[in-house]
Amino acid sequence: MKAITMMAANFLRQRRWPVLLLFAWILATAALAGNFGRGRPAEADIVFHAQHQAIYICIFSAFLAADALHTERKSRRILLLLAKAVSRAEYLLAVLAGTVVLAAAYALLSALCSIWLSARTMLPSAGIWQLLPMVVAAAMVAASLAVFLSTFLNPYFATACTLAIFGAPTLLHAQRHAGWVWLPGFPFLVQFLRFSFRAEWSPNWMSVLAAVVESALFWLLATAIFERRDIAVPVE
Amino acid sequence: MPGILDYTHVTKDYGLPWSRRRVRALDSFSLSLERGEIFGFLGPNGAGKTTAIHLALGFMRPSAGAGQMLGRPFGDAKTRARVGFLAENVALYHLPAKKLLRFYGTLSRIRPERLRLRCREVLQQVELEAEADRNVERLSRGMQQRIGLAQALISDPELLILDEPTSALDPVARVAMRELLLESNRAGKTIFISSHLLSEIELICHRVAILSRGRLMKLSRTDDLLVRHDRYEIVARGVPAGSFELARHFGMPPAVSQVSIADATPQLRVLPLDANPSASSGQALGRNGRVQVTVSAASQRDALEKIWALGGQVLSVNPVRRTLEEVFLEHTNKETGA
Repeated sequence: MKAITMMAANFLRQRRWPVLLLFAWILATAALAGNFGRGRPAEADIVFHAQHQAIYICIFSAFLAADALHTERKSRRILLLLAKAVSRAEYLLAVLAGTVVLAAAYALLSALCSIWLSARTMLPSAGIWQLLPMVVAAAMVAASLAVFLSTFLNPYFATACTLAIFGAPTLLHAQRHAGWVWLPGFPFLVQFLRFSFRAEWSPNWMSVLAAVVESALFWLLATAIFERRDIAVPVE
Repeated sequence: MPGILDYTHVTKDYGLPWSRRRVRALDSFSLSLERGEIFGFLGPNGAGKTTAIHLALGFMRPSAGAGQMLGRPFGDAKTRARVGFLAENVALYHLPAKKLLRFYGTLSRIRPERLRLRCREVLQQVELEAEADRNVERLSRGMQQRIGLAQALISDPELLILDEPTSALDPVARVAMRELLLESNRAGKTIFISSHLLSEIELICHRVAILSRGRLMKLSRTDDLLVRHDRYEIVARGVPAGSFELARHFGMPPAVSQVSIADATPQLRVLPLDANPSASSGQALGRNGRVQVTVSAASQRDALEKIWALGGQVLSVNPVRRTLEEVFLEHTNKETGA
């Protein structure tokens, strides 16, 4: 367990600068949505901010997770890492843990911004605290799917496929087609797009449970494939 | 009894089975390392040395055959806690040296209290205690290589696998590395070392294997490989006009210093050590010269008798010793047809 924590911490540390930049961007967009503290922001702007931040967190997690294996193999740092008493399953779990922690930090900062905005508009903020675990669960599924796909695909394809799997059913649903409800990510995106600070929005906690099961499944599949990959072969 | 590292008819192909660009990196490779030895693994670029190492550590799977490391199949994660590995062109995370060692130590499942102690010890061993708090990113290439070795030693491993460990080191650091490896070996560690620096291998390895195009060309004890028992080198002095007489005896021109020979023909090398540069080699040899004759084992007695008959004094008779470079070239050229 300690080895996984150390590898996850190392994963976070390596990505600290782009993540800090991203955090600055969250603050900037929140300031923009809140009219830079001048006047009362429009409720639609605040809802838009919360919804889109939730979706961005999923995209960000997919990017981050899909690139992890490729970067480590390209730099050859993975060799010394996996020459230690670390199994590939543990290594992938550390990548996922690192991504989920980053996504959670992103989601928390985003939630705090939304609370600040809602307070300025006199809207109830309880929904934000319910949205937060949903966002983290969605980010976890996105990360695990991206890691799974990146074990056999180029990271850009892996990210694109993850986003397609997440996004396509949601787009179909928005076009009044049914959408493939059993696909990962779909229930979350639908809930994010329906999010409101008002009482009519309530989270579907079953989708969080499904996300945990799906993530575990993707991690197992990723491990099964990654166990068979030649990690010392230079990546393109 | 199984060795500490065993390859049994291991074959490794790169590329997809139906691809035209499929390359065979290892071809039915078998090898067994004995506990407590320093083993040198030699071969030209692309011979398959690194592939063999990576297979042992589980970075890739063999296409055919199997292997064991410390009694467990290749790729077993728990076994790797007892193995230290230094990769060629070591790539380290950009952390302060001490933190980096703690990181790798934790991955090797070392307990925190022991890890603190081991960090200090290995930094001392690689003579980088003063750099403990410096980020490895800012260290020189040679220092990074030594940090790489420190991380390999952190778990006090039974087996140390080193891929080109001295490639980035200056001569002083190379000597220090050699001493460190010998010391580790005296402490009971088995060392598997792949290197292009044949002189290093020659100095420290008990056994060597030469690999070429994925095949094992030679496996032998280093001494047996370097000493030729079919040829002896006789050094004598005080042979009056020695080289002329001796050369005539062996049917060679006297002024020749080096002669290529067929197996049954002795080789004559004249060493005018104290020669006056203006004098002819014959005069010089007549006064102070020394002769060195390389003869086959069969004609050794004949040569000695001739030297004594000419009034010469035999200084030494030794089996001919080759350099590892000569042996290496002989075997790799044989394979490539050069």
